[in-house]
Amino acid sequence: MSELTVAQRAAGAEIAIDRAPYFPRRKKMITGRSIAVLVFLSICALFFAVPLYVVVVTSFKTMAQIREGAIFAPPSMWTLEAWDYAWNQACSGINCNGLKVGFWNSVAILFPSLVLSIALSMVTGYALALWNVRWAGPFLFLLFICAFVPFQIIMFPLISMTSTLKVYGSIWGVALVHSVLSMPVLTLIFRNYYKDVPQEILSAAIMDSGSFWRIFFEIIVPMSGNILIVILILQITSVWNDYLIGVTFGGFNAQPMTVNLANLITISTGTVAYNQNMAAALLTAIPPLVIYFLVGKLFVQGITAGAIKG
Amino acid sequence: MALRWSRLSPQLALTPALAVTAVAFVGAIGWTIYLSFTRSRRLPEYTIDWSEWGRQYSRLFRDDAWMISLRNLITLGLGSALAIVFGFVLAAMIDKEKRGESLFRTVFLYPLAVSLIVTGAAWRWMFNPDMGIENFLHQIGLTGLNFSWLAHADTAMYGIILASVWQSSGFYMALMLAGLKSINSEIWSAAKLDGVPLWRLYIEIVIPMMKFTFITCAILLSLGVIKAYDVIVAMTNGGPGQSTYVPAYFTIQALSSSGNLGYASAAAVMMLVITAVVFLPLVLLTAWQQRRRAEAVK
Amino acid sequence: MPRVSFEHITKTYGHLTVLDDLNLAIEDGDFLVLLGPSGCGKTTLLNLLAGLLDVTDGRIVIGDRDVTDLDPKDRGLAMVFQSYALYPTKTVRGNLKFGLVSSKLPADEIERRVAWAAKLLQIEPLLDRKPAQLSGGQRQRVAIGRALVKNVGVFLFDEPLSNLDAKLRTEMRMEIKRLHDELNHTVVYVTHDQIEAMTMATKIAVMNAGVIQQFGTPDEIYERPANLFVAGFIGSPAMNLRKAKLSLANGRTEAIFGSGIRLDVSDYDFSARPEDGAEIIAGLRPEHFGTPDGSVEGAAGVFNVPVQYAERTGPDASAYFRFEDELLALRIDPAIASALAPGQAVSVGFLRGKANLFDARTGQRM
Ligand SMILES: Nc1ncnc2c1ncn2[C@@H]1O[C@H](COP(=O)(O)OP(=O)(O)O)[C@@H](O)[C@H]1O
Ligand SMILES: [Mg+2]
Repeated sequence: MSELTVAQRAAGAEIAIDRAPYFPRRKKMITGRSIAVLVFLSICALFFAVPLYVVVVTSFKTMAQIREGAIFAPPSMWTLEAWDYAWNQACSGINCNGLKVGFWNSVAILFPSLVLSIALSMVTGYALALWNVRWAGPFLFLLFICAFVPFQIIMFPLISMTSTLKVYGSIWGVALVHSVLSMPVLTLIFRNYYKDVPQEILSAAIMDSGSFWRIFFEIIVPMSGNILIVILILQITSVWNDYLIGVTFGGFNAQPMTVNLANLITISTGTVAYNQNMAAALLTAIPPLVIYFLVGKLFVQGITAGAIKG
Repeated sequence: MALRWSRLSPQLALTPALAVTAVAFVGAIGWTIYLSFTRSRRLPEYTIDWSEWGRQYSRLFRDDAWMISLRNLITLGLGSALAIVFGFVLAAMIDKEKRGESLFRTVFLYPLAVSLIVTGAAWRWMFNPDMGIENFLHQIGLTGLNFSWLAHADTAMYGIILASVWQSSGFYMALMLAGLKSINSEIWSAAKLDGVPLWRLYIEIVIPMMKFTFITCAILLSLGVIKAYDVIVAMTNGGPGQSTYVPAYFTIQALSSSGNLGYASAAAVMMLVITAVVFLPLVLLTAWQQRRRAEAVK
Repeated sequence: MPRVSFEHITKTYGHLTVLDDLNLAIEDGDFLVLLGPSGCGKTTLLNLLAGLLDVTDGRIVIGDRDVTDLDPKDRGLAMVFQSYALYPTKTVRGNLKFGLVSSKLPADEIERRVAWAAKLLQIEPLLDRKPAQLSGGQRQRVAIGRALVKNVGVFLFDEPLSNLDAKLRTEMRMEIKRLHDELNHTVVYVTHDQIEAMTMATKIAVMNAGVIQQFGTPDEIYERPANLFVAGFIGSPAMNLRKAKLSLANGRTEAIFGSGIRLDVSDYDFSARPEDGAEIIAGLRPEHFGTPDGSVEGAAGVFNVPVQYAERTGPDASAYFRFEDELLALRIDPAIASALAPGQAVSVGFLRGKANLFDARTGQRM
């Protein structure tokens, strides 16, 4: 059972609930219990929302106001100084060119990672799901295990290999490692999705054309719209939010934004400029947050499918 | 049987994935396991001194930092389990009280969309002893309260747990919500007709029915805890002292700061063992589920 | 149009042997229906022919080519599937063209064929729609069209009508029959529905448990079933099968039932000399009885049996009588059926020359 289908079923259930009252019913009175539940949920929502609020207001404050200590107070004077500094001048290690360096690195890492990982896992998932490959079962099991292996156990060998391939410390190196590490999970998701393509459609296509690639590009890819969007979102957010791969394989020249941010906030010398830190944190968080608030439902489908495979 | 192109092309298409799996996963794991028996320091050494092949492991279990890491791993695991409980409570409430469902869901889930480094940065700031929440609490007169958890070795792990729960509760809520929605809606009406109180319905019917969801959550949580690294870096960098070391952090420290490859490999192998212990039930569960499904088909 | 033959076909899935040394030859231009209950291996046989499955052992020949090791697309056949299997993201036109583009036909030839098939099947107005915008019957037509445009000699159908409602099914049945009459392709058609088989086939192969029970024209299958399985499977209500003993006394051959009722089978065309006292099973089709309580003059045997119940299915009626603790089904005139009261005893004659006799031990026709 893929969680994706669970999520889809859940979505279906919701629609049914929305449609349920076919005839107008007496409007339900709000009960005491409902009020208690809503109050509790609102308090929880507050707990979840407070950090975002604090980060946002802090990033617009001056250091002088921050030192006064009223962490929840809105900025007495709204200023973009901290944002400007974080973007243009913040230091990451010995480089003080701001987070924009990391931002562009992240963008540069993102595209090859997406193309490589999706191409690889989509073809693999398609071949495993719809073609008769004798060793598909054992291979899937192996992928399932690989999906849960801790990164540390393959870290040094991967460093070695990327050095040999002369991509260590480059955008390509980071992108390559992202693609390799996400391959098992993405393949399992694609396979689960393609498993639901009716066998007869593939049989018909085999009789019509027989070409693995033609069937893939003409029949299967056009049928993959939904899953592609879900995977795209899953992969964009996970590559963007990654720290470990970036810090391990980015060297000095290909550090993604998260690494810049981590370097900034863990500086132990001198006074800490919290407004700059928070502005930097927000700058890093904005791209995935925008995606989340635009297409939250697909995002949730992606992470649950990614976590559970099936 | 004659060789057919149609037979061959899917296998050819699978070769890249197969190569990646063989080299980057299977081969790399074997490589690390091998290294863990050597005396490799900064550079790999490939001779194994058979008289004391387990020296890295025995060193590891004499290392205080590793033992702290293991203890913290358990603390973090138990503490983060709150996220599952919390997630279930939120899911149950949202599911029963349909009002505001999408709003609440959006709010509870957004922490998942941002990097753990960002999460860590935010919480590090709020835990700041001079200007953070503690200061605010003292200003409003609650001077007895202490909220500078990260600054003290004995409370720093709790700070990390709080941030983890904040970050992941929404995820478990989403899984639970999917589980709850797959429960037959007639159960609720039947319980209402029978006059069964809601809490008993949850304890006696709903939670047992969601057994699989709970087990899944528990396994995912354990796997997540073993991998916990980013949040430690962002919040405490292992400190104060080594009080917030966890195996993932320990291993990378051993490799990148201490430059001790053999030692780091031994720690990584231990991480793999821990993962396998957690993972085994998942494999069994999957196998059991498949068998049940196969029986259901019959 | 080519001839298709299966020679010593064996197919196993792991330890399960589905087909074992099966032989079957289909003449050119034949409309062969593979008829059998669900799970008997019809789809497996069809997929072996199509090349979607590999034979474990044996040979498949189409025309004069051994196609056993050929790719499906190179075997020169086209298939229509039960679920239609239309490509959901392609238009009807795209569906029809997909199999042609790879065959390197000139573009105008492709267009010509699509237009021809669309006209033949009356789906011209639908050419630019997606499958999701079509009704079941329209999808069926498109699926057939997709097979037609390939201009091959052999057509395969796997239960193509089972997803349609009764009315459409009759309509499509006639349509497929008409296409066969017009185009004269060789057709292999799989179904478990005996009406489809009886109405469309020029040859029927009745299958059970992976074995071909009988191969022949619809009339042969119906009138001279080769064994008990075929006898019981074909016909509705099913043939009455009753244990009896053969008696060769007095220059007559008679089947004697347990209750003593005698049936004269002297004119039966035995394939081997009958033995006195042989255990047999007599097969009596429901429609081969006379009118209840009517004249029994010249009947092969007379049954005195109580009515259990009668049921009317539109223009027909069936009556069930109690005979030796089992039901005996008769096809009768609806007007008479309504006059029958349960419990009432009637006498009814069985027509001469209509009985089927089977060896009770082997189940084979005598
Ligand atoms: N892929 C398979 N693996 C194992 N057994 C199968 C497979 N496909 C079919 N069978 C078995 O082979 C037998 C024949 O199946 P099939 O040809 O589909 O029957 P039919 O089409 O006559 O209903 C059935 O008993 C079925 O269970
Ligand atoms: Mg079938």
